[in-house]
Amino acid sequence: MEILKVTDLKKTYTSRIGGVQVHALKGITFAVESGEYVAIMGESGSGKTTLLNILAALDKPTSGSVELDGKRLDMVKENGLAAFRRKNLGFVFQEFNLLDTFTLRDNILLPLVLSQMSVQEMERRIEPIASMLGIGDLLNKYPYEVSGGQKQRAAAARALITKPRLILADEPTGALDSQSSAELLRVFSQMNENGQTILMVTHSVDAASHAKRVLFIRDGVVFHQIYRGDAGNEELYRKISDTLTMLRTGGDLR
Amino acid sequence: MKHGFYVKIASQNIRNNTRLYLPRILAETGLLGCFYIMLTLSMDQRLSEALGGSYLSMFMGFGAAVIGLLSLILILYVNSFLMKRRKSEYGLYNVLGLEKRHIIRVLFTESLITSCISVMAGLFFGALFYKAASLWICRLFRTSVVAGFYYLRASNFFLSAMIFFGMDLFAFVCNGISIHRMKPVELLSERHTGEKEPKIKWVLLILGVLCLGAGYTFSLTVRSPLAAVGGFFLAVLLVIIGTYFLYVTGTTFVLKCLRNNKSFYYDKRHMPAVSGLLFRMKQNAVGLASIAILATGVLVMISTTVSLYSGVQDTVNANYPQHLYLSAYQNRDGEIRHISFDELSGIVSGVAADHGAQIESIENTRMLIASYLLRDDKLLTKTEVEGGWDIQELTSVIYITEDTYAQLKGQTYFTSDERHLGLGTDEIGFCRIMSTVHDLGEAPETLTIDGKEYKVKEMISYFPVSSNFGNIVDVVGIVVSDEAVLNSIYMAQKEAYGEYASEYASRIAVTFADEEAMHAIGAEFDRDVVERLRARFPEDILSYTLDTKWESLHNTLDMYGTFLFLGILLGFVCLFSTILIIYYKQISEGYEDRERFQIMEKIGMEAWEVRQTINSQLVLTFFLPLLTAGIHTAFAFPILLKLLKVLMLSNTMLFVGCSLITFVVFAGVYTAVYLMTARTYYKIVY
Repeated sequence: MEILKVTDLKKTYTSRIGGVQVHALKGITFAVESGEYVAIMGESGSGKTTLLNILAALDKPTSGSVELDGKRLDMVKENGLAAFRRKNLGFVFQEFNLLDTFTLRDNILLPLVLSQMSVQEMERRIEPIASMLGIGDLLNKYPYEVSGGQKQRAAAARALITKPRLILADEPTGALDSQSSAELLRVFSQMNENGQTILMVTHSVDAASHAKRVLFIRDGVVFHQIYRGDAGNEELYRKISDTLTMLRTGGDLR
Repeated sequence: MKHGFYVKIASQNIRNNTRLYLPRILAETGLLGCFYIMLTLSMDQRLSEALGGSYLSMFMGFGAAVIGLLSLILILYVNSFLMKRRKSEYGLYNVLGLEKRHIIRVLFTESLITSCISVMAGLFFGALFYKAASLWICRLFRTSVVAGFYYLRASNFFLSAMIFFGMDLFAFVCNGISIHRMKPVELLSERHTGEKEPKIKWVLLILGVLCLGAGYTFSLTVRSPLAAVGGFFLAVLLVIIGTYFLYVTGTTFVLKCLRNNKSFYYDKRHMPAVSGLLFRMKQNAVGLASIAILATGVLVMISTTVSLYSGVQDTVNANYPQHLYLSAYQNRDGEIRHISFDELSGIVSGVAADHGAQIESIENTRMLIASYLLRDDKLLTKTEVEGGWDIQELTSVIYITEDTYAQLKGQTYFTSDERHLGLGTDEIGFCRIMSTVHDLGEAPETLTIDGKEYKVKEMISYFPVSSNFGNIVDVVGIVVSDEAVLNSIYMAQKEAYGEYASEYASRIAVTFADEEAMHAIGAEFDRDVVERLRARFPEDILSYTLDTKWESLHNTLDMYGTFLFLGILLGFVCLFSTILIIYYKQISEGYEDRERFQIMEKIGMEAWEVRQTINSQLVLTFFLPLLTAGIHTAFAFPILLKLLKVLMLSNTMLFVGCSLITFVVFAGVYTAVYLMTARTYYKIVY
């Protein structure tokens, strides 16, 4: 079943001075199946962030459509957008985006509080997620009291707790050391094994090599994709590296 | 590098940071303007002469000093805030290759520009409004305005300018030192050092509650006006300490309680605000407490001075049922000879004839006024009380004979039956003239005066002699049957008090037909009476008391007019300071909150919800001090009423009215400032 369907997505920015048009996305089409774990790779300026912002309904495309669970994002009313986001999407950001006046528990519960869920239900939900992510003992700590990896796991818990259709992760390992990165990627794989659909934007080969499918974006179009198939992480890692090398040297895989 | 370069950079910086610099310039302008006005008023000889006021120059000098001190504190506060905001900018210059001395030079140029603008504007507005201020004072003093007088003195301009330049220079030096010490990398990265969650400091919490409770209790329970005077500053101090402690730790306590209440806390309307405030209070408790205290100061100062001033006429009328009181005696080697009624009234009538003033009536009062301690049904002299007494507990007793009583009452509408008490030598008439301190309760059946028992035959409701002691001690009036009894009481108190004993007073009270006219010629009239008195009796043994309604009115206006002017100007400056502190607090928080609200929106908070959260948080931090000020003022009410009694104002409704109006006006201004700063805040956050 398709959870996310992106059809011929285009985004054109017009610079304020001189009216020069910049085509950030030039027609992106892809679909994500339920239970998939997709990584989107691309250099800086390839349009990754623009794509993610549009998927997160933080930005609007110039043309084309995004369907989440069969519902077109541009049909959602402006006022209900935040609620829609809250219900269907979970976010993990590079900079964690935890509120430092909240304990980890409160940070994780915040989306549920915004949905006005009952306290019992909140407490029922947080326990298994926190223990799965290995932060069960840290819930009463403040973000500044824990390490970067722990912060990112708390952020992942916050994304998971609403049971979203899709988790969008924007460079989740970008601010982490290698050990914390590995741990977080393991958590992501585990989440995926439990049936969670994940879409991750990254330019870390290591991170991408944990996904089941890798999309490459260059100059605003989907340039190439690799399926994991039965390959292990290391094999996928090599394939991704080769692809990137070819991309850089101008090879054409299509 | 060329000098023009620095000027260019500096002026550009100021323009780019209008949001930060404009309020600072406005504030300094306002403060300097007020300072200049106060300073000049304290030195304006011609004004002093025109008003004949002695309080004015003294109190205005005091006012100028207060404003100066407040300005220094404010300028340093604003400066520290500006530096915090702009340090990263200076750090960037450093990284871009400007040396620290260059940065300091930029800083200096900036300070110089803002300083010059503020000082010039301040002096301009100060001089402009000085005229208005002096005209207003003349009206307050009910003096006809001296046409066109205007007072400009170079030395005052110079002094004011130098003082404020000095403050700015001091602020600059502080900044220079901190720039000198800075490390560019530290400045560039606005570091998010983790704020610890504030802890409840139980000792402070308990101390705060105790201090505030003690201050409030004192105000609520104090009975005697004199005790109120003595304890007022202690109570104020207790309340100030209590406020600070409670703001610092009480707010944390309340917020933590709220947070522990899960069904309350885990609600989207409460959660962001409660946790935000919890951390916010740690940084801002002191600032908010200061705002609360300043606001209370404004309220108390303005409401008391306004009611004092507007009650002047009432006060004087109440204290002067007649227009002129004169008593005199000659003291020949300790032998007191009172000057008779005929002599005194002859002198006043003579002067009145000279001035063409018509006398309506002259009353004579011969009385004995002495102090006692009232215990149950006994009036005790000092020798009868063990261990001395507290002056606040004294009761003043006015003795008159039945003849005097009948005569005085004859001038009013009392019937002859009411005038004649028919007292025997062991009987008295008793009247509670004023019972503010003790509840004198039911009339005693007998009264023992200095050991001798009298039967209370009559309870008198209206005593024809008014007390002249204001409202600060209890006053009892006693009518005795004849001179002999009066004399025995006189001798008894003479024995008890020795050289402090009271003498008989013979006093004439004159009422003139045309009071208005008398107020116009009052000062001359008084002088002529004194001259005539001195011409008639040998000056070296003459002792006299001349007390006139016009002189009292003039003195009261002088004093209360000065108080009012001072109260309003200082109140204005306090309000000004409050606004400034609020403004800078608000925008500094805006910068900090920006990120938090951006995150919340990403997590899935609707834009309007973010705005609502911001609003509830803002309203709470903003109106908490106002609420505190209101509560403080309400609790201060009883003690302020007592204090006003000492100052001869006993019109409670007037004070209530003034306080309410002041509070409403203040709350209005406060809300207007809130709306303005909230707009700036939204612009920053959103």
